[in-house]
Amino acid sequence: MAGKPKSNFELVLNGLFNENPIFRLALSMCPAVGISTTLMNGFLLGLAVLFVQVASSCTISLLKNYIHPKIRIPTYTLVIATWVTVIDLTLSAFFPTAYKAMGIFIRLIVTFSIILMRLEVFAAKNPLIPSFWDGFGMGLGFMFGMMTLGFIRELLGAGALFGHQVLPSKPLLFFILPVAGFFCVGFMMAVYNYVEFLFKRAKEKKMRG
Amino acid sequence: MKDFPRIIIGLTVACVASAFIMGAAFMFTIKAKKYNEYMEFKEAMYNALGYTHENPAPKTLQFHEVYRYILHEPNKDYMGYMVPLKSGRYCFVALSFDGNFLYKKDLNISEEEAREAAAREKALSSVLSPSVKFFYANKIIIAVNNGKRVAYLLPRSFAGFKTTIKVLLALEPDYTIKGLEILEEEEDPGLGGEIKKNYFKNQFKGLTYQQISQLKVIKKPLPEEYRKCLEQEEEFTEAEIKKIRKKYQDSHIYALTGATITSTCVTNGVKNIVKKFAYRIKVLDKIIKTQNIDAVI
Repeated sequence: MAGKPKSNFELVLNGLFNENPIFRLALSMCPAVGISTTLMNGFLLGLAVLFVQVASSCTISLLKNYIHPKIRIPTYTLVIATWVTVIDLTLSAFFPTAYKAMGIFIRLIVTFSIILMRLEVFAAKNPLIPSFWDGFGMGLGFMFGMMTLGFIRELLGAGALFGHQVLPSKPLLFFILPVAGFFCVGFMMAVYNYVEFLFKRAKEKKMRG
Repeated sequence: MKDFPRIIIGLTVACVASAFIMGAAFMFTIKAKKYNEYMEFKEAMYNALGYTHENPAPKTLQFHEVYRYILHEPNKDYMGYMVPLKSGRYCFVALSFDGNFLYKKDLNISEEEAREAAAREKALSSVLSPSVKFFYANKIIIAVNNGKRVAYLLPRSFAGFKTTIKVLLALEPDYTIKGLEILEEEEDPGLGGEIKKNYFKNQFKGLTYQQISQLKVIKKPLPEEYRKCLEQEEEFTEAEIKKIRKKYQDSHIYALTGATITSTCVTNGVKNIVKKFAYRIKVLDKIIKTQNIDAVI
């Protein structure tokens, strides 16, 4: 975290690519494997996480001076749990069909390591506006990851996107199963690493040349 | 040590603040949530009666609820029904367990208000003597079309393999099963959870009272033709469905693979519901007739 502070745009990009929660930090793998079976599920859970992440990051960065350092983890958990309850109630009231599809995973957002980690690493040390953008970027990164996985898995497993049939048949039913979640995550990690490798090489060439 | 008060105060304040936020969110969403639940139940009601988007319910179809209560007095127990009257109010009829009429009281509560449990209790406690304790047992929803009974809807629950299973059973006036909807269950997904699927719950459709009284579960594979008919009813004409039903449907239910206990639970549950209901509604009808109650049902 040394060096000059990042601009807001860089913070969002950081969450999306450089420190993508699923593909680079390898955090919150459980929902990534469990619920990314369809594009819609990935989108909805990503949206819920985005909201919880932004709300918790803002809350913590506002309250950071009042939180006793010895009880910071319970306080963070409490804050996350509060916002998760809020979104749980809101979704169940206004989007009952989506809520049914998400089931228990909405309540499990409390335990997503990515949110707690961002609070501890970033929001507790930075003012409100960078914390907001960091939370936004991280949430967006999570949503992007979930949607990428959902896209691959739904397309290959069910031959559909957002529930609409796009391919004439179901190419590989295997991709709907949880096991395939690991394959997809591994594949995407490899893609991220390869892209990083390409960037590095281009940079070195520039410096030399 | 000197941090203790700060920690305690900090945590307490955090908890109280989050409780307030959660409470506010709850207050904000409770109305929509109740409405959702009501709509869901209504949809289950129409599904159980066999009405769909293509085959909507007639506009004149009305639902009237009859609530059953168990009453305790110091030296005796009996039961009572809240019967909707033509005036739009309710009347409370008390019966002994063997079906004899005890007393009748008018309640000042409309059908709309009676849907709230608290309002019913208030109305009941204002007419019953204070020594009587009463407990809500269950309700019967009676579908009436142009003054004629079309169906009975019974929201009931019974023990499943893991937890209680809540169902909505629709019966015709002659107690033939019109439809079965599973409202809530927590059986194993893929095994007992399959009771929600059409190929299981539609097996109950069309069973007559005679067949239900001898209903049992058999551990045989579901015939392919029958399964197709149960799963995609809309692809078959009425005559075809009747033919297939006649061929395969008797007083047995094909058990789910790997979930015999759940299948048995549902089968016995349905059997008991129908048996008890058939007896109770006969008694209630007799009382309504002999006491000249101007019931809407």
